[in-house]
Amino acid sequence: MSAPEVHCQSSKCPNGNPASRLECPTCHKLGITGSFFCSQECFKGDSHKVVHDLATPRQSLPDDPSTNKNRTFNPFPHFKFSGPLRPCYPLSPRRQLPDHIQRPDYAEGAVPLSERKNAGMPPRVLSPEEQDKMRTVCRLAREVLDLAAAAVHPGITTDEIDKIVHDACIERDAYPSPLNYRHYPKSVCTSVNECVCHGIPDQRKLQEGDIINIDVTLYKDGFHGDVNATYPVGRIDEESKKLIRTARQCLDEAIKICKPGALVRDIGKTIEPVARANGCSAVRTYTGHGVNDLFHTAPNVPHYAKNKAIGMLKAGTCLTIEPMINLGGNWDEVHWPDNWTATTADGKRSAQFEETLLITETGVEVLTAGKPLEL
Amino acid sequence: MQDDEIPTLIDVDNLETLPPGQPDPGAKPVPLTIITGFLGAGKSTLLKRILTERHGYRIAVIMNEFGDSTDIESKTIGVESGDVRSEEFLELPNGCLCCSIKDTGVAAIEELMKRKGAFDYILLETTGLADPGPIASIFWQNEEYGKGLGWDIILDGVVCLVDAVNGLHQMMADSASNADSVGESLRQLAAADIVLLNKIDAAPLKLVEETEAMIHRVNPALAVHRTMRAEIDLAKVIGIGAYASGPPPITVHVHDEHCAHSEVGEVGSTHYAVRGISSLQVRCPPLSSAKLDALDIWIRTLLWDARLPLPYDAGEGLEILRCKGLLETVDGRRLVLQGVRSMYELEEVPRKGGEGRVGDEGKLVFIGKGLGEAVRESLEAVLR
Repeated sequence: MSAPEVHCQSSKCPNGNPASRLECPTCHKLGITGSFFCSQECFKGDSHKVVHDLATPRQSLPDDPSTNKNRTFNPFPHFKFSGPLRPCYPLSPRRQLPDHIQRPDYAEGAVPLSERKNAGMPPRVLSPEEQDKMRTVCRLAREVLDLAAAAVHPGITTDEIDKIVHDACIERDAYPSPLNYRHYPKSVCTSVNECVCHGIPDQRKLQEGDIINIDVTLYKDGFHGDVNATYPVGRIDEESKKLIRTARQCLDEAIKICKPGALVRDIGKTIEPVARANGCSAVRTYTGHGVNDLFHTAPNVPHYAKNKAIGMLKAGTCLTIEPMINLGGNWDEVHWPDNWTATTADGKRSAQFEETLLITETGVEVLTAGKPLEL
Repeated sequence: MQDDEIPTLIDVDNLETLPPGQPDPGAKPVPLTIITGFLGAGKSTLLKRILTERHGYRIAVIMNEFGDSTDIESKTIGVESGDVRSEEFLELPNGCLCCSIKDTGVAAIEELMKRKGAFDYILLETTGLADPGPIASIFWQNEEYGKGLGWDIILDGVVCLVDAVNGLHQMMADSASNADSVGESLRQLAAADIVLLNKIDAAPLKLVEETEAMIHRVNPALAVHRTMRAEIDLAKVIGIGAYASGPPPITVHVHDEHCAHSEVGEVGSTHYAVRGISSLQVRCPPLSSAKLDALDIWIRTLLWDARLPLPYDAGEGLEILRCKGLLETVDGRRLVLQGVRSMYELEEVPRKGGEGRVGDEGKLVFIGKGLGEAVRESLEAVLR
């Protein structure tokens, strides 16, 4: 590795600030460059730590003990987190549902058997009755998302948001689709700041300046409705606002091209240029998907330009478009040891919007449509 | 550690890896070659040579037991929990690594790359897989996820070992079997970019020639190297870029001599059929953008819907296993067609200075089932 020489940064260096290759470990992890000191003595004597506080005003330092004062803890103290966000355990006990609510096939065994059985099949065309069921479940999904969004404020934990979503599903006689899907432990995904998607609701309190994506899916009358959106917690900085607006614009532009005969591969070709023009990048590992009686099914919908996606949109099929947009040019992500949480690889923030769409004879119907973004 | 406790400085010169999330600008994508072959054709001899000889490449040989392919695709949706990974490593004196990975597919190989780093090539051995096509398409699609991030794997090509003594017999037996189920050897050839025709020292020259002719009849777009004891310059097997954006290695000329002199717009084509698998090879003139669009529609109707655009009808059982092509437009642009099964890409590539005359080299090759006269006529109608 070759890097320019950096001189000891101590303001009171007794050695005349010589060049050094010894770096502050906290700065190294946080990605703050240039924090070099000629010796441990010099480092100790400096008021350097204030730099960390400036960089991470709302988070404890990465090397904090894993147990916090309120008995919550970081279950993966040795994991190399890419940014300041940490899991905050214990997770609340698994939430229960009344018996009368219809369950999808994975609710008990965690394995979506019907999805596997249908792998490789072309997208399913729904009958008018089935389309009505999709309309209903998607409208309810939007209601639940709006309820969850209304609860977003500094101080609420993501677990409390999970409870709101879970209870709102029950009130609507619907199953919260994420619950136990491939062992996912909660009823909603809450993805904060650098979390790209699949954040697990835990005991972390939302903080002024955070952004949070809430991803809600309901299962009712045999069909899933899938919707998500990103919200500010209190006041957020301009960069985060721009990120959220960009993510919304990416989705809106993509929806505009949807109609029978449109190519699935052109959806990503529409999204990525919008992201790039705004200094952002489109995540590649996670894609949009067909949604109907199956939570995730054909077609697979890449959100990036150079893709070889197969197929064209057909009237009567339902799919989601849900671009995950990262600040900066890095679309890579890392996964926490919980096997779900995906964060950006560089710790920068990520935002996302999702709608469930029905392709109609003449164009597209946004089944989960809500109010326009206000930011 | 308390907030006011001072951590120990770290020596940045002794760090093991780059900090996470920093793309390594010097990192090159690592080509992955799939090795397949007829039973007893010498696959293990080839692998043994690669793992023991001093050839100067750092190669990771992965013995694959992919099992259920639905698990391999799970990366696109969610991360499978309860990660059961069983791996065995064998690091060899010549710098190569031999390992077996069970069931975690693309993600496991990327993980291996991240941990073991810096291989020049990866060879994936596909024991027990009748048809390398699905695995090839998974790796080809997976290229899209990692591109430019320093740990990406690119599909380099599919190599198939054929036994010069028994290979012809195996192909004949497979093509003679029921037309609905195409035999293993023919599917391997259809997916292959390179064939090593091995054990030529043990077979009469005439048989070697007949075998090679038969191989080309199944797949006119592949290159054949004759070998003894699988001895081959590795540069002919790895790093061939069969799926790269450059012109594909269409090594076989269109056999119809007249078509070289045919007028623009007229299409020369040859068409071979081994029962079960056949190929269609068509020369094509420089295309207007309207014709290019029409060709794209034709290709996707064929690959995605397994039929021909109306009014043509190819009947039942149309299935494309592989396609390749090089196209030119009337305004001098150059495009490469690559396809495996339903997945394809038609991508513009830069024309290097002075490289070929316009109109020289447009060619399309399709390999699969049910490529009858109707397919040829329908394609010619699009190009004409």
